[in-house]
Amino acid sequence: MQTTVVGNYPKIPNRPRPARLRNAINKRDRGEITSEDLVLVYDEVTTGVIQEQIDAGVDIVTDGQVRWDDDQTYVTRGLKGVEIGSLERYLDTNTYYRQPEITGAVGWEKPILVRDFQFARENSSKPVKAIITGPYTIAALSLDKHYGSRQKLVLALAEALRNELLALAEAGAEHIQVNDPAIVIHKADSALAAKALTTMLEGVGSETGVYTWFGSAAGVLPALLDTPADVIGLDFICAPDNWDCVRTAGFGKKLGFGIVDGRNTRLESPDQVAEDIKRMSDIVPPERLYINPSCGLEYLPRETACDKLKIMVEGARRAEGVPA
Amino acid sequence: MVTQQSQSQGAAAGNSKMSLTTTAVGSYAKPDYLSKARTAFSSGKIDRAELDKLERQATEFWIRAQEKVGLDVLVHGEMERGDMVAYFSGEPGGNPIKGMKLGGLVRSYGNRYYHKPIIFDKLEWPGPMTVEMWKYAQSLTDRPVKGMLTGAYTMVEWSFDEHYPSRRDAVLDMAKVIRREVEELVAAGCRYIQVDEPAIHTRPDTDFDMAVESMHVTVDGIDAEFHTHICYGEVEKIYPAMLRLPVKQIHLAFKNTDFAYLKLIDEFGYDDEKDLGVGVTDVHTRFLESVEEVKDGIKETLKRLPGDRLWIYPDCGLKTRTTQESEDKLRVMVEAVRGVKEELGIA
Repeated sequence: MQTTVVGNYPKIPNRPRPARLRNAINKRDRGEITSEDLVLVYDEVTTGVIQEQIDAGVDIVTDGQVRWDDDQTYVTRGLKGVEIGSLERYLDTNTYYRQPEITGAVGWEKPILVRDFQFARENSSKPVKAIITGPYTIAALSLDKHYGSRQKLVLALAEALRNELLALAEAGAEHIQVNDPAIVIHKADSALAAKALTTMLEGVGSETGVYTWFGSAAGVLPALLDTPADVIGLDFICAPDNWDCVRTAGFGKKLGFGIVDGRNTRLESPDQVAEDIKRMSDIVPPERLYINPSCGLEYLPRETACDKLKIMVEGARRAEGVPA
Repeated sequence: MVTQQSQSQGAAAGNSKMSLTTTAVGSYAKPDYLSKARTAFSSGKIDRAELDKLERQATEFWIRAQEKVGLDVLVHGEMERGDMVAYFSGEPGGNPIKGMKLGGLVRSYGNRYYHKPIIFDKLEWPGPMTVEMWKYAQSLTDRPVKGMLTGAYTMVEWSFDEHYPSRRDAVLDMAKVIRREVEELVAAGCRYIQVDEPAIHTRPDTDFDMAVESMHVTVDGIDAEFHTHICYGEVEKIYPAMLRLPVKQIHLAFKNTDFAYLKLIDEFGYDDEKDLGVGVTDVHTRFLESVEEVKDGIKETLKRLPGDRLWIYPDCGLKTRTTQESEDKLRVMVEAVRGVKEELGIA
């Protein structure tokens, strides 16, 4: 059993610690520092976020997606055929993303995430998981002005993103996570989403995972289990019926067990986490469990996010019978 | 459609109620001296009395500005508030609801962060939160000033809830708190109270009934005219369900979607008992609409509802626009209303 995170992490701490990145972006916007200066700040903040996860005891970390404004634009800015449009609400949160607008044939030109992955790996003593947004979610949250067909757009995105996965794998990414939460929201499209994931993941040498959040996988899980993904990540906080989904699915993959609430500051107790893990271990054996929050932690203040990781790690240790 | 239009005009002409009442949604930009004073107050450099003086000075500025432009029903401008939820939850200078506090910073988009409130205990009314400022604003003018509150659903939806077992429990307790504030405003003489619910379309399938129920708890049996402002978002998902909200008037941001909401009214109708608040200028752009363009929007709406059931607004609060931009947008709106009235011969 290993502990991990679902991706993003709060970019700035609260007082008295300085909000370095927020201040640096403001300075860049005012022309007081250059974009190159800002990259250095992103690097430093990323290193800090990685170290914070490691210090909390997380086994497989991410770069916190510190450089990402949101899941939709960071990846699609690097693709052909995509422009960035207006602010839209992200799913049922009070956070907002810029909507990608598909204005031409989608295509991959060069690596988008590889430099970030290499930087994170060089600055981490623990394995780093690379994060990429999934084709179905990008399509569902974009404005299609070109294809006129959800199916065509999803499959074109899958082809394009496959190149990025191969580039990440070639750069040595042992763990790659595809963020595809819209799959559990638009259940009627699960066959299409699964087809796209298969296109994207087939034969990629790394361990690949597909993560969803904010919804129940009821009706969708069989299709996800048919994809080549090694790991399926589910949110057990927003959707407690994922317990039943997993129990009845004949769950043969690894499970990303999202059991610490990434959207509420209320802290779980390590014992509560341990109990949930033990209960899940009866359904999916511990060696096939990743213990992680229910979603990215960026909905929380930084200090709370860090506390939650420590509680999660402590809960996992107690579940394994490691003395405190 | 032609029949409807003539009926509308007939209804408007034959009614003593005012047509095309002009008003605003709530917030205006804070003058620099007030923004600086708020920062100084937060860090203890000035006291409450000094901040109070400057808040009142800025409020008077906006009351006079609205009078000068010629709005019929005024707003106080929310000079004392930073954010519509945080003000009630621990913002410096406010009187926070018991059981709420401000949490750490979370990012809403880009490089924008806010202190997201936390519900940490049972919610209770802490004594008047908005009454003094409303009384002050109303004392400055003969025109009615609206009372301004944030609805229970939005208050809870935009906060972390560490206390309640379910969202419904939190929302219904919050509604009791807001109702208590409504009662105080009414006792102070407030006739129009706007209860904003910009988050109401967050989870239309699971939560809309809860939002309606909480509005009932907030307003039922209270003798005042209630309005609600519903912001950008998937309005089509809560139409016509939103007509179940127990308020006299619903205000929507028509201009931002080029009056696409009119199609909802064409398809599903509106509520005969309700007035409609029509946003006719886009607040998210500095671009100033022409009087003709605004008139066109009003005239399109008049084809569906009579003038005495329409209130004319900007799309949303104007706090993101400069003082000049806000005054310009209000002026264009008032001129357009005058022009429409003259053209159509309505009072």
